[in-house]
Amino acid sequence: MSSEINRRVIDARGSFCPGPITELFKAYREAREGDVLELLATDPAAKSDVQAWAKKTGSEVIGIVEEQGYIRIIIKVGKKAR
Amino acid sequence: MSPKNVLIIGSGTGGTLTANLLSKILKNKIKAGSLKITLISESNRHYFQPANLDVAFRGADPSRYYSDVSSLVKPKIDVVYDRAAQIDLSNRKVKLARRGPVSYDYLVIATGSVAEPEAVPGLAEASLNFHTSPENASEIWRAINRINSGRILVVIAGVPHKCPPSPNEAAFLLDEYFRKRGIREKVEIKFITPYGRAYPAHDVSEVVEELFRRRNIEVVTFFNLESVDQGRRRVYSYEGEEHAYDLLISVPPHFGASVVRSSGIGDREGWIPTDRNDMTVLDYDDVYAIGDATNIPISKSGVVAHLESGVVAYNIASEIDGSGDRYGYNGRINCPMEVGFKKAIFINGTYDSPPRKQDPSMVKYLMKRLFARFYWNVLSGDFEWMFNLYFGETKYLLKTRGLALHEVRREAGEAAETVQEELQ
Repeated sequence: MSSEINRRVIDARGSFCPGPITELFKAYREAREGDVLELLATDPAAKSDVQAWAKKTGSEVIGIVEEQGYIRIIIKVGKKAR
Repeated sequence: MSPKNVLIIGSGTGGTLTANLLSKILKNKIKAGSLKITLISESNRHYFQPANLDVAFRGADPSRYYSDVSSLVKPKIDVVYDRAAQIDLSNRKVKLARRGPVSYDYLVIATGSVAEPEAVPGLAEASLNFHTSPENASEIWRAINRINSGRILVVIAGVPHKCPPSPNEAAFLLDEYFRKRGIREKVEIKFITPYGRAYPAHDVSEVVEELFRRRNIEVVTFFNLESVDQGRRRVYSYEGEEHAYDLLISVPPHFGASVVRSSGIGDREGWIPTDRNDMTVLDYDDVYAIGDATNIPISKSGVVAHLESGVVAYNIASEIDGSGDRYGYNGRINCPMEVGFKKAIFINGTYDSPPRKQDPSMVKYLMKRLFARFYWNVLSGDFEWMFNLYFGETKYLLKTRGLALHEVRREAGEAAETVQEELQ
């Protein structure tokens, strides 16, 4: 298995329903421990949603950047249960 | 001159409406023989899919909820019953399973989504669902009629899926069903979701969670289904949680149509990269995708397919008649959610405005029911005026005469300056 760390940008801007976190779940399924996921979102609820999700999955929010009209949330994938 | 060929793949809400709207807008061109619209339909039946909830949780007869495709399209449209086996965007060709290759000038991909329980280990064998067919929805009705006590899980097994409110509606209707049978206290209902709350949109979730609390429906959040053990009757998540069940009702993972996947024109899950405004497929100005088939991160629902079909029909029409106008979709969604006991809410939003909180009402429930009865007429495209009144403007002008609006304004400004100079 390769130990290379992958970085993936998930552009979920303009998504309120079902919401940007949908895109994050999809990326998480394919990600490995240590991978970095970068979520771009306009939904103001994204920040707290991702933080709660990261806590549950043992992932780490390593950055939240307020960009012009959207937020960029950077997540490091933690050890996966399965 | 040979006629322009518009080829539409898929005869669901989006494909049927696009065909009918286009034939209305450009009826003179069709009459003159300069335009041909072909609708490719895999089946001769068009199902009203929202009725699957009634079939599953109210015991409705599935045979009441379909119509023949031929009865839904306008006479000048050529309906071809065949399966699209390959889409070749570079050579403007679609290969049909029986008829072989067909060329097009404009292509509309309205191939929808497919629910695949097989995508999660153990799920197909262990669960029932109402997203694959009305017949499978009937299985749920039979199963809940056999239950006198036990634990029922409604689990969202993958996102995105058709009709975001449908899992919540399933839980509400189960609650109603067992209350009516007088055995609600003997049946545990658990709602299991990958999201961090009972409904993905924050304000709507506040309404749903309060109702779930009152109805004694337990919510399990951040549960991304990894597998099901049918023998032990347990579901397991990627997050390391497990729950036991007696009856498992799932919303299976959804994917783009197989032709999209095999033609290599979608992403890893088969969703087609599509411009969220003018609905063109990435890198192509003669190919459009609508409805569930796209990768646009909003609701996969009939209403979205409906509103997008208006944008696509007008964009193709303006290309053909050379007006240069270009329309965009504003991302309007409008999903009714039944909350049981003849009440409903509507989940409304656009790309720029999240859905807001609202109180359940019987009026909204009746509106949902009314729409269901009116569905077949809506597909004709003859009632767009009514939707325009209800929704307001959901398509807007992106460009006119081939120019972006800011360019038109600049042109107008320059013209005004010239006039001013000449007057001086």
